[in-house]
Amino acid sequence: MSNWLTQALAQYQSSDSTDWLSAAREKSLQQLHNTAWPTRKTENWRYTPLACLERTSVAEPTNDAFTAESIEGLECIEIVFVNGKLVSELTDNIPGVSISLLSESKESAQNLFQKVKPEHHVFGLVNDVLASAGVVIDVDESVVVDTPIRLVHWQNGGESHVRHLVRVGKGASLAVIEEYRGDNPLVATQYAEYQLEDDAKLNHYRFALHTNQAMVVGGSHFNLSDRSELHSTLIGFGSLLSRVDIDINHCGEHAMATQNSVYLLEGKEIFDLHSNVEHTKPNGTTEENIRGIVGDEAKAVFNGRIHIHRHAQKTLAELNNRNLLLTNKAEVNTKPELEIYADDVRCAHGATVAELDTKALYYLRSRGVSEQEARIMLNFGFINELIEQLPLEPLVEWLQGELKRRFNDLRNQIPGVEAV
Amino acid sequence: MSQAALLSVKGLEAKVEDKTILKGLDLEIKPGEVHAIMGPNGAGKSTLGYVLSGREGYEVVGGEATLAGTELLDIDIEERSRAGLFLAFQYPVEIPGVSNLEFLKSSVDAHREAQGLEPISSKEFLKEAREACKQVNLPAEFLKRGVNEGFSGGEKKRNEIMQMLLLKPKLCILDESDSGLDIDALQVVAEGVNSMRDGERSFVVVTHYQRLLDYIKPDFVHVLSDGKIVKSGDASLALELEAQGYSWLTEQRSADPIEMHKEVM
Amino acid sequence: MTEEIDKALARQYEAGFVSDVESETFPPGLDEDVIARISARKEEPEWMLEWRLKAYRTWKEMSEPEWAHVDFPKINYQDISYYSAPKSMADKPKSLDEVDPELLRTYEKLGIPLVEQQMLAGVAVDAVFDSVSVVTTFREKLEEAGVIFCPISEAVHKYPDLVKKYLGSVVPQKDNYFAALNCAVFTDGSFVYIPKGVRCPMELSTYFRINEQNTGQFERTLIVADEGSYVSYLEGCTAPQRDENQLHAAVVELVAMDDAEIKYSTVQNWYPGDEEGRGGIYNFVTKRGICHTNAKISWTQVETGSSVTWKYPSCVLKGDNSIGEFYSVALTRAKQQADTGTKMIHLGKNTRSTIISKGISAGRSNNSYRGLVRMNPGADGARNFTQCDSLLIGDQCGAHTFPYVESKNPSAIVEHEATTSKVSDDQLFLCQQRGLDPEKAVSMIVNGFCKEVFKELPMEFAVEAGKLLEISLEGSVG
Repeated sequence: MSNWLTQALAQYQSSDSTDWLSAAREKSLQQLHNTAWPTRKTENWRYTPLACLERTSVAEPTNDAFTAESIEGLECIEIVFVNGKLVSELTDNIPGVSISLLSESKESAQNLFQKVKPEHHVFGLVNDVLASAGVVIDVDESVVVDTPIRLVHWQNGGESHVRHLVRVGKGASLAVIEEYRGDNPLVATQYAEYQLEDDAKLNHYRFALHTNQAMVVGGSHFNLSDRSELHSTLIGFGSLLSRVDIDINHCGEHAMATQNSVYLLEGKEIFDLHSNVEHTKPNGTTEENIRGIVGDEAKAVFNGRIHIHRHAQKTLAELNNRNLLLTNKAEVNTKPELEIYADDVRCAHGATVAELDTKALYYLRSRGVSEQEARIMLNFGFINELIEQLPLEPLVEWLQGELKRRFNDLRNQIPGVEAV
Repeated sequence: MSQAALLSVKGLEAKVEDKTILKGLDLEIKPGEVHAIMGPNGAGKSTLGYVLSGREGYEVVGGEATLAGTELLDIDIEERSRAGLFLAFQYPVEIPGVSNLEFLKSSVDAHREAQGLEPISSKEFLKEAREACKQVNLPAEFLKRGVNEGFSGGEKKRNEIMQMLLLKPKLCILDESDSGLDIDALQVVAEGVNSMRDGERSFVVVTHYQRLLDYIKPDFVHVLSDGKIVKSGDASLALELEAQGYSWLTEQRSADPIEMHKEVM
Repeated sequence: MTEEIDKALARQYEAGFVSDVESETFPPGLDEDVIARISARKEEPEWMLEWRLKAYRTWKEMSEPEWAHVDFPKINYQDISYYSAPKSMADKPKSLDEVDPELLRTYEKLGIPLVEQQMLAGVAVDAVFDSVSVVTTFREKLEEAGVIFCPISEAVHKYPDLVKKYLGSVVPQKDNYFAALNCAVFTDGSFVYIPKGVRCPMELSTYFRINEQNTGQFERTLIVADEGSYVSYLEGCTAPQRDENQLHAAVVELVAMDDAEIKYSTVQNWYPGDEEGRGGIYNFVTKRGICHTNAKISWTQVETGSSVTWKYPSCVLKGDNSIGEFYSVALTRAKQQADTGTKMIHLGKNTRSTIISKGISAGRSNNSYRGLVRMNPGADGARNFTQCDSLLIGDQCGAHTFPYVESKNPSAIVEHEATTSKVSDDQLFLCQQRGLDPEKAVSMIVNGFCKEVFKELPMEFAVEAGKLLEISLEGSVG
């Protein structure tokens, strides 16, 4: 077993275990003891080594003042955690919505904790045991929440274990932004579970924007009931260790999910995205588009599984992963998977590691744009395509700014573009 | 006529993969002239535009081409554009994620830079771009969308003309800009072109049909067949072609009346 | 419709007869002594025995791979007999006339009358019956061209330098569990050497058959195409119908030197087990080729048999501009399980690979494509295109796709696509409306689905493959 894990779990054993989650935590602890620590031979961790957890000592977290940069033009409810501690007020003035701290929640959360997140994630089990920061959001039936809820986590060292639990009631609608940032060597597990009841609608954003010394593992997990609708967008910058698991379970019929992800990696960063979609009921629809640009000596890992169960007839599921590789020290490892046990379904996946579209390059140049600039435009356009169509315009502009900042570090590596 | 040619193409030969498409094409266009190029399918009409603009895969094996004294065939695609060559594509490519606005400003600035001018201010550019949109009947929102992304066929063609208005080229090659357009859209395209006729700017209108030429009056009409210009004349030649088809001009005379009919349809 | 399909699919395995040939078979069990006896029976030189023993020791340290999407009871490797030879082989026949007529009748039943093939098809055949190579036809004509085509056991004696140089050079002993086992106990197989610049004057072919009960078959094939040469090689496989599972763990190594081309085609029709999944062959095969500069290796396979298939014919594209191809049709029915695909390892510049895989699942079977495309940092300008299509017939089967793409070169292009479909009611309706019976319609649609692969097979095999699919699908629709 890993030293890191032993030490991490020691915190739990020595802590007060009278909280409402203790039974659930005990169960996960037991399971963790029976689970092998991932190695390179563990299929789900084939390309992402965990040795950094043992080797790197985390920074001492300081209580520097942190204010979340606001998103210009976007009115949202901001809930801010710094090093795992809530530093903002919890609002209680949205009709039909209750927001409480994980540590203070009880009844409603009982039905959400561990109910959506699959059990096979080792770090998810660690999070079960240690989760302390996070909120529980419950949206009543038919309530349409106009203001997005933005959950910001900032950390500058130490360890934190974040868990959000969200339930969107029947016919209700909500937008949630999970935003994770951090500086200095740090360790974090960051999980969120979402239960969408019948006809519920969720716009979900997860931004993993740590700097390169973070070691973060986490995931967003969704249960979709009948006719519910999920639109999820993930933006990932890599870091020393950055792993995200997205799980979407079609537990009801006629549910619909779109999942778009963008990663932009530089330096020696690793970004590892696993998405898993379970179609257990008929008539579900899933569309996933995952794109990444990988430069310097960074490594991208993508594993996208779509699992159509025996009775999930009339499922439509598509997944597409496209990558641009900028240097020959960078690497992309992608594995789209289909597991299909029903015949009357339409499923497809595609994965490419490729160069730019030469027709587009010619078109831009034929209008007088220089080849270099055309290449830069097309590279940015490649990821921007998944961003520009998001429904909240101020969020789009803010995101484009975030992406551009990072993209500018990479642009000189684009093949055919000389360093300026 | 002592005036110097704007475009001069001499003995142009070009091939795609191993197939020779242009087999010694000559064409001379003076400032302000409109030339129509007509001809049967596979004659090399689109190839001419691709070769002059420098598309990859179109290999020049002989001949020369100059635009306002600039040797076109030796320079890069973007340099040809900055030298004043504009090709309005038959099938403009979609470039999702790259906004029209960003793209157009980059190209306008590149053209300005080549002329020793400062980049245009965003404000002024936006004004010009909106103006251009209005002129070709495209809503200004199109500027924010990805280049040609999700545009209908007609919108793509109008977008091409809009770009032409902004870039103010010396020579415009319209590659079947009329194909797939209804009569209203056709008029918009034609009006865009006509508004740019100023006695200096020249046009090459590549088309299958006489129809477009009702709106854009050509000074000369050429018939391109099997990689060469086989006949030239004035606007009346287009009417003649409309009535009789191409077969009387082409070497491989088609014996099949249905085939002949197809060519003029 | 499902019930009708199930019923209809309960067809007879046409190659499921047992030949009444008297055999000498080792008692079950495996240890160094057994290996020594195999080696002695083959009158092998000392180095060969040492090589086997080394492999055996490696194998003992290894464990069976568990990552494939297949499920079968644990194999007891001590319950298997590792050598079986028809008794009449004891004094090897020098020509067809000397071959036991019963054996020849077996081949006739299988549809490969040697004599007839000699005359008609001009295909040179090496037939491996249980563990021993029975006869190699057309030898003289090949010798004229300088082509060596003989049982590998014979090559060990006659061409020891070639065998020593290349055996295990593409698939190392410790490559995987089944390959290591094969190295220790392989009994026969084919050896082919095409000299520089020679275009092999005819298709070469091997037929494998497992006849004895409780025997494993561990054949070993080694093909070396020297610079600028060309060879097309075909293999076919059958086994009798038995209630017990039988193990087949073969190794095939291909070496394509500069500018050489090897085309390797397989029609695999081992006994697939009965409707309930009893019996059938465990087909755990390692096939790999290495391509030097400008060389090309093309794998084409039609897999309809075996109860469990674990097989990934691969190409190591070492030389610049080399080409690897993999064309596969895998059909599973009843309770068959197949986990098959390929690996394309791009090392050299401008290397190219194409993967076309067609999986057809029916009954309660599971059919998986598993592939790896790897672009190494040196593979400038390399290209891969992969297309995996699955067709499901009935709602009790499974079709799966597990492609691994690993790229470390910014100028390399990898494209992978996969789709899943079924024989649609619309397609069936159209065919029926035009007067076809549903069975014919399904077979037509499936054949169409596989067309891209069949066109890669040599003519006579393409016909056989089409027929095989038709038989396998017989009456799949009411």
